[in-house]
Amino acid sequence: MTVDMSKDMSKSAEPPAPVDPRVRRRSRSAVARSAGGDRWLTVLIGLVLLLVGVGVTLLSYGVFGVARAGRPLLDPIILDTVAAQPLLWRVVAIVGGLLLAVFGLTWVARSVRPEARPDVVLNGGADTTIRVSSAAAGEAVASQAETLPGVARARARLVGAAAAPALRVTLWLADDADVRSVLARLHGEVLATARASLDLPSLPVAVRLELERPHPTPRVA
Amino acid sequence: MRAVLRVLAPLLGLVLATVGVLVVIEVVAEWVLPEHEGGLLVPWPEWGAVLAGLAWSQNLVRGIAIGVGVVGLLMVLVALTARRADLRLVAPSDDMTVTTSPRVLARLIGTRVRASDDVLSASVTASERRVAVTARAWNDAPEELRSTIVDRVQELLAELPLRRTPRVAVSVQEREGVR
Repeated sequence: MTVDMSKDMSKSAEPPAPVDPRVRRRSRSAVARSAGGDRWLTVLIGLVLLLVGVGVTLLSYGVFGVARAGRPLLDPIILDTVAAQPLLWRVVAIVGGLLLAVFGLTWVARSVRPEARPDVVLNGGADTTIRVSSAAAGEAVASQAETLPGVARARARLVGAAAAPALRVTLWLADDADVRSVLARLHGEVLATARASLDLPSLPVAVRLELERPHPTPRVA
Repeated sequence: MRAVLRVLAPLLGLVLATVGVLVVIEVVAEWVLPEHEGGLLVPWPEWGAVLAGLAWSQNLVRGIAIGVGVVGLLMVLVALTARRADLRLVAPSDDMTVTTSPRVLARLIGTRVRASDDVLSASVTASERRVAVTARAWNDAPEELRSTIVDRVQELLAELPLRRTPRVAVSVQEREGVR
């Protein structure tokens, strides 16, 4: 599938409209797949383990009392408390176990799930919808970005939710590329065309700049 | 550290889920099958007997507690250092975010510094706040080489639309041999 990226560029000459802060936030989120959830959950579990480790070590060295340090790990007081109300503690254990299982499985699913690549649905008339696949839109943007002077390679993909997609563009620049000029032309030519073609006037964009590796020159001619 | 976190996070989730499922199975089994001796999947009565025989002050408990604390600290460090060290650039519009990696900046600076005839070799480390260049010069390099390199690096940084211009630190190491 191909996407027509050759619309009239006269709109890009207009003064830029103020950008919604939510669009700005989405463009920052589109830079890379977020690992924020994984990081904070890992910090939380790490802190719990650290506190437990420190607490037990202090208890073990008698900081909270020598008599307490000499008591068994499975204290008869705790066993008596549990034995006094077995039904309550069974329910507590089952509910706690279920919550832990659901939470753990949800975390695994979120961590290993591939990043969403939403398609764009265009309104083609009364009873027609046109679906532009994420790959086709990305390919069209990338191939146009590769024509900019100073850009050796480009890759683009749509990311985020289907209702609020964002564009992630990676540009591999030549060593002598003028970065300001490349960004200005990407914004004014490639992205303006993409926004018009995909009918997404507020498409947030995250651009990643890399350097193209120089091709090794043969040692022997 | 980001790669370590990508592996660690689902593993932690699996461990939590497994513990939760085992707790539910064992508690329900103990409840509905009171005649069944011992645990269904986990020998918890034997574990309970071992725990009842261990005191908090025993060396084994201390060792395990210290190990748990160290593992927790490592997990905190892994998670805190797993953030992206991207450099932000000024974008042509507010709905666009432009980033690059410190590696790219270091490579650009290294190419610029090595282009000087007086520089034998150079190594560069770059971050959002600081660029450090260590250059090795030829024996007959001019005395003002350090300031020349600083000027070249600052010239390059001015060409790039970086949101935050890093400080530049240049050191010229001992000069080796003649050209």
